[in-house]
Amino acid sequence: MVAEIALSSILGAPVHDGSGSVAGRVREAAISPQHDPACISDLIVKTSEGDRLLAAKDVISLQGGVIKARGKAQEWSPLVSSDGLLFLERDLLDQQIIDVSGRKVVRVNDVDLLPEQINGNIRLRIGRVDIGLRGAVRRLLKGLAPKGAVEALASRMPEKMIPWEAVDLIETDPARRVRLKLEYGRLSKLHPADIADILETLAPAQRGAVFESLDQGVAAEALEEIDPKMQVDLMTSIDSDKAADIVEEMDPDAAANLLGDLPQETSDDILEEMEPAERQEVSELLAFHENTAAGHMTTDYIALPPDATVGDAIDRLRAFEGEVETISSIYLVEANETLVGSVALVSLALAPAGTRLSSLTPEHVIYCEAGASEKEVAEMFDKYNLLALPVVDEHKQLTGVITADDVISILRSRL
Amino acid sequence: MRWLKSWKTRTLLILAVVGPGFITANVDNDAGGIYTYSLAGAQFGHSLLWSLIPITLALIVIQEMSARMGAVTGKGLSDLIREEYGFRATFLMMVMLVAINLMNVVAEFIGVATSVELFDVSKYISVPIAAGLVWLMVTKGNYKSVEKIFLTASFFYVCYIVAGFFAHPNWPDALRATVAPPSRHVFSNKGYIYMLIGVIGTTIAPWMQFYLQASVVEKGVTAREYKTSRLDVILGCVFTDVVAWFIIVACAATLYVAGQHNIENGAHAARALKPLAGEYAFLLFGAGLFNASLFAASILPLSTAYTVCEGLGFESGLDKKFSEAPVFYWLYTILVGAGAVAVMFIPNRLLIKVSVLSQVLNGVLLPPVLIYMLLLINKSSLMGKYVNSRIFNIIAWVTTAILIGLSITWAMVGQ
Repeated sequence: MVAEIALSSILGAPVHDGSGSVAGRVREAAISPQHDPACISDLIVKTSEGDRLLAAKDVISLQGGVIKARGKAQEWSPLVSSDGLLFLERDLLDQQIIDVSGRKVVRVNDVDLLPEQINGNIRLRIGRVDIGLRGAVRRLLKGLAPKGAVEALASRMPEKMIPWEAVDLIETDPARRVRLKLEYGRLSKLHPADIADILETLAPAQRGAVFESLDQGVAAEALEEIDPKMQVDLMTSIDSDKAADIVEEMDPDAAANLLGDLPQETSDDILEEMEPAERQEVSELLAFHENTAAGHMTTDYIALPPDATVGDAIDRLRAFEGEVETISSIYLVEANETLVGSVALVSLALAPAGTRLSSLTPEHVIYCEAGASEKEVAEMFDKYNLLALPVVDEHKQLTGVITADDVISILRSRL
Repeated sequence: MRWLKSWKTRTLLILAVVGPGFITANVDNDAGGIYTYSLAGAQFGHSLLWSLIPITLALIVIQEMSARMGAVTGKGLSDLIREEYGFRATFLMMVMLVAINLMNVVAEFIGVATSVELFDVSKYISVPIAAGLVWLMVTKGNYKSVEKIFLTASFFYVCYIVAGFFAHPNWPDALRATVAPPSRHVFSNKGYIYMLIGVIGTTIAPWMQFYLQASVVEKGVTAREYKTSRLDVILGCVFTDVVAWFIIVACAATLYVAGQHNIENGAHAARALKPLAGEYAFLLFGAGLFNASLFAASILPLSTAYTVCEGLGFESGLDKKFSEAPVFYWLYTILVGAGAVAVMFIPNRLLIKVSVLSQVLNGVLLPPVLIYMLLLINKSSLMGKYVNSRIFNIIAWVTTAILIGLSITWAMVGQ
């Protein structure tokens, strides 16, 4: 059982080299993410001849607030550049990080290091990041009171820690992001709404940096959940072709809303870069006025002829390319696209595979016109207890579907 | 018709961004500020008016930097200080801010109590009600609703301009005194120098920089909209000093001319005006003082809560609920509550000592805050192309040096 050592107690500590004399003081602790992202690779020691890199394997002991190392100070390599190195004091301490397990953005007060003895060498593993009072007390009182007293007080404080594996760093320089291998793999696994919350908390530069690093599919889903004003800021700061890729992954109605909010030039640039099929879909939706039923509908829906079977419907569901979780009903249309029926997913699940869909639809199919107001749409959802409402044009042809989450957004903006 | 449309968009854009600068500048005219200006007019007539233009310019320079940093970095001042200068520096500043602002809140509630006493309502009734109102407005409101209330309160200062007209001042003399410095023999009067330093000292307070930057960030102003934000700052500074001008002129035309050179507080000035300038002037001054005190009593604790939470890493923001940001709302509650209780139960002579102490602390905190601001705003890693230009830097550093010198003198001399 090795006791944890706080980073704050190492920074500024004197370093004794192999001859026993004081070579300098610790200025920084560095990690080399390409080699080992979880252990300290070097200590930067400020000597009378400038900054020197003391490799972690040359450290003999860290006890008692004094670093003992082997070799002569002059033999340690001088620090040439910090490229590819993550400096704990400069880049981590007091900076904002993403706490993936807590799904929020926090600020680092201190870092707990775990020294491990391996074959007579010390390996300094990064244990946990301290975001609570304990780290705060240590940083505050360091140097002002005897070490023992500071530690005693600090250990009385409640601890609030995040394991290093749950930490995602934020770096605004794209070249450095590559060198430090910041890929946000853990962040990407969170629910898009949580990713959006985290992005909204960050300052604009950091938000753009993290957003750019996300995979397109993840970025699109998170973007749909972000505050509209920030959506605009994010989309105007990235290249049109990247923006187009993201817009293509989005739900058509969310994409149309976003493009509608962007300045004309930007949205034109993005539309140009999109694939023809998606561009067509989104442009059609853009043509509708925002505050009508058509302005909130999506063109991602499933429509089948009335004589198709339950088996056909399920095949179509399996092949569906959009966000299949949003489908709650399958719509029945004639050859000329006129809406004639709707079958709830539940009915599909309960009926035998060969049943004709026309026998599962209710007598009167509920729909609304493209020009209906938001108020009428909300009233219909309430009156008929709907999860989705098909939208038809003046010829009663199915043009899109409004889903419950859109209505909830409308209602919340009025609350 | 296109120019009309572009004016409409321009006005909407201005309205979307205006707020933080205007409000922060107007809080300058709090109970203490109004007293200082009234005293300046009563004791020295028009001979201090010339200082208002340089003071306005200095205020604009400093406020503009805060607004620019907030818009470009998207982070508050205490966030930036924490990230660049570490935990301890931030913590010490936060402690001083809380102490200073607690004393200021006491001064504001004294303003509320004395202004309402003019209409024969006891402070044991007015102060709890005022504290209750102030507390409710912030806990139940969100950023938008609170900002609207603050903006209305800012416009209410127009009452001092009207009062100025009722005082029938000597307009040509007042205007001349505004642009031409007085003859040299005036400066050999020690009392005059003290008053001059006092007027300058009340104008630029360290907490204002934290509040302005934090509200620019919370309002979501970005680097692109920053130019309009600058307009907001300039308008606010000009308006607040126009109000100050009218307060000085109104008191000069009445109290100074009548030989009444000693007034104890802002309410005393209002009462003294009644026989000299009529009922309306008395009402306007009284109502103005009430508005200013209530306004400042809401903003000061709010600013402190924002700043402390930012700097030490707690959740903050008017758009969050009490349970989501407990430290923020509790800090606000304690400051308002302690201020109100202090005014009701601590004897007057102790309260005067408290207000002197707050001036001293202001003088001590201002230099490091200004210096940090200047260092931060010149970092291209933070500000990109929005760093200070060379000319602006010269102006800013000279202004800062003068302000620091004056505020240290003011702190040492006391009042």
